Order: sequence, then structure tokens, then C-alpha cells
Amino acid sequence: MPTSVVHAAVAFLLAVGLLGRFYDRRALAVVLAVVLFPELDAAVGLVMDGAHRTVFHTLSTSVVAAGVVYWETNRKESWLRGRWGAYGVRLAWVAVFVHTFAHLGLDWAHLSGINIVWPLVDQFVTLEGELYLSSTEGVVQTFVDIAIDPETGQQTVDAGQGGTTANTHVSTPVQPSKDPQPGPVDRRFPIAVGGWQLYFLLTGAFALLGRKLQSTPAVEEN
Amino acid sequence: MPPTLLTVAVGVLVGIALLGAAFDRRSLAVVGIAAAVPDVDAALTALGVGAANATLHAVWIPLAAAGLLYYDTDHRDRSWLRHRYGWYGVRVAWVAIATYAVAGIGVDLFSTESVALFYPLSDRYYAIIGKFVLSTQEGVVQTYIEIGNGWEVASPGTIESYHVDSWWHPENGERRLQLVESGWQAIIVVTAIAAIPAKLLVQRGDR
Repeated sequence: MPTSVVHAAVAFLLAVGLLGRFYDRRALAVVLAVVLFPELDAAVGLVMDGAHRTVFHTLSTSVVAAGVVYWETNRKESWLRGRWGAYGVRLAWVAVFVHTFAHLGLDWAHLSGINIVWPLVDQFVTLEGELYLSSTEGVVQTFVDIAIDPETGQQTVDAGQGGTTANTHVSTPVQPSKDPQPGPVDRRFPIAVGGWQLYFLLTGAFALLGRKLQSTPAVEEN
Repeated sequence: MPPTLLTVAVGVLVGIALLGAAFDRRSLAVVGIAAAVPDVDAALTALGVGAANATLHAVWIPLAAAGLLYYDTDHRDRSWLRHRYGWYGVRVAWVAIATYAVAGIGVDLFSTESVALFYPLSDRYYAIIGKFVLSTQEGVVQTYIEIGNGWEVASPGTIESYHVDSWWHPENGERRLQLVESGWQAIIVVTAIAAIPAKLLVQRGDR
């Protein structure tokens, strides 16, 4: 994972704007819980091979969650709307957005990626590549490589497919490696790795601070 | 280098977070442009002015802008900006300056491409890169800032010795306009694109 701290920071950066007038400390706490919760599959990894980045790190969770929120808030007897009103509805949608982009999205592009449509297909996928405009080659993108095998004539598509739950293990502090090595275990809790992760950590904090220092909206000042 | 597209995407995210009641298409455009402006210094080098990631990436520019804005809105009897554009204008101006610094300069500073942050007082490029990890075996591992004789961050060189690749100054004849360099950058760009309609919906709901 890009570290949990980075997930949280990006989630806050998104939540500050998207919560809008429902922005408050409790809503932020919910967002934080939502963005950290998928890491619990690291614990599931102790009993199920390759569970981390699989069980809760699948886009299926986003699709199901979005469906449930849509259905729940649009029926007559909506519990969420009845109990929490517009606040609850907004928070639920922000949670789905943040889970999808700040957590799954960033993990998709990191290390072995995520098991993207598990349990439908057991296949880790990593988003890797670049996109540029070249004066000699035109538009070049390397995220999805489509090639035709010269011998068989078959088309192959490489979108960064990796292994399956059987042979993919993404290291976590809970389970640093699949087959324990002799000697002391090094459990690592990364806070930030690489300039960009520290950058987002600081930018998330900046957004929270900025929001706190801001004056009240126009209506009251004019 | 972190592409300008990424800078603008981060700028859009910061704008969505901080514009608040001043959020609309126009203010978002202003903020997005503010994020992109620093990268113009690469184009200026083609005219022989300054250096890439230096001239407009210097910390003095947002500092001076913030100072001017503060003076205008807090120390003058009649603020020009507030008189002309009201609360909206003041908010957009502050967010644009913040975006210039955070997205326009910050994204490059925290990458290997690096930024001559104190240009023209200093010609040195700085890059804040490294890692910060807590390990049960090695304790706290922190390599962003070397704390020895004073504080030091990584530096690829000075204006004389270090060259920033860009469309304007290609390294080997091939001009290349980088749009996205890696997976996480693609995710940030897509996130920003998705956040705009989301914020427009939110804005409608908040009225």
C-alpha cells in the first residue's frame, strides 16, 4: 500500500471539498475509518492466502457500495435519510468516492496492485505505464500494451496482470512475508515512501488547515 | 518530470477543497491555471530567460503575491480586490496563490526533477525525496532530510550543472510532452477529473 497515512491524507484532501456544508469532525472521522478499513484484509491474510489486497481491495466493493447507497437513499423508507438526513446521504457518497479513488485507485498503481474484480476473477492487476506526446512517435501510452504474437497471430493484452491469490503476497506489518524466514522478523510500518507520498501527506494536512483558517462564506461578510 | 497535467490535477483537487462557496467553473479555471503557470519557465528558457524549474518556481513569487494580497485586503482602507470582486475575489485569489505554491511548485519540489527554490539568490536545485518508515528492526528510518551538519535535502546540482528535460529543451532531438509518468499520477489525474462533476453536484445540493 501507499502507506495508510497517505491514503488518509488524500482522502481528507477529497473530503474537505466534497463534504461541502456537511464538513465537520465527525464526518472526517467516518471518512478516516472508511479509508483505513480495507487494510483489515491484511489480518484475513493470516487465515487465507493472498487475502490482503484481495478481500476488501476489489472494485466490486465500490460497485456494491454505490449500488446499496443509491438503492437505500432512493427508497421511500430510507433508514439513512430518516436517521441522518441529507448529512448521512452526502457522507455515504463521499465515503464511496474516497474508498474508490483514495484507497483502491492508489493501491492499484502500487507494488503488485490489487485483485481488481475479485471474487469474479482471481487476478492481481497493477496500473503501470506512462503517457506522452512525442515529436517522433506521436501519442504514446504504455498502460495497456496490445501486441500481436508474430508466430501464432494471437492478440495479447498486457494491462499489468500479475498473479492470483495463490502466488501473490503484498507485505504488511501483520504478515511481512508469506513464508517466515528464520531470524528476527522485520515488521515495517511505512509512513511515506518517495517524495510524492510525503507530498500528499503534507497537502492533505494543508487542506485541513486551510479549511480551518478560512473565513465564513460571503453571505455573512457582505 | 512531474507533468503539467499532474500539477493541474493537484491544483484542481486543492481548489475543490478550499474554494468553498466561491467554487464555480470560473474560479476552478483560475486555480487550474495558477497551478500550471510555474511550468511556463521552461518555455521562457527558449527565449533565453532564466532557467527551467527556477524562474517561476522560486518561492519568492507566491510569497510576494501573498504579501501584496494581504496588504490590499487587510491594510488598505478600501481594498481594490474586494471592491472589485467582493468576497469571491478575495477567496479565489488566496486559493490561487496557495495552488501556485502547493501544486505548481510543490509537486516538482517533491520529485527527482527538483526545483531551484531560492532562485535567483541561490542557483541550487533541491529535491525532497526519500522515505520515512518505522521498522521493528531498524527503528525510525528517515531519509528525506539529512540531519548532520545542518539540514540537507537531495540536490541534483545547480543551474550550470543540471538540466531539466522539457518540450523546449529536449535531450536527444526528440521533443516529448509528458502527460502521465506513472500509475499513481494516472490515478490522481482521473481522481481530479471525477471530483469536478462530484463537486458540482455537491455545490447544487448545498444551495
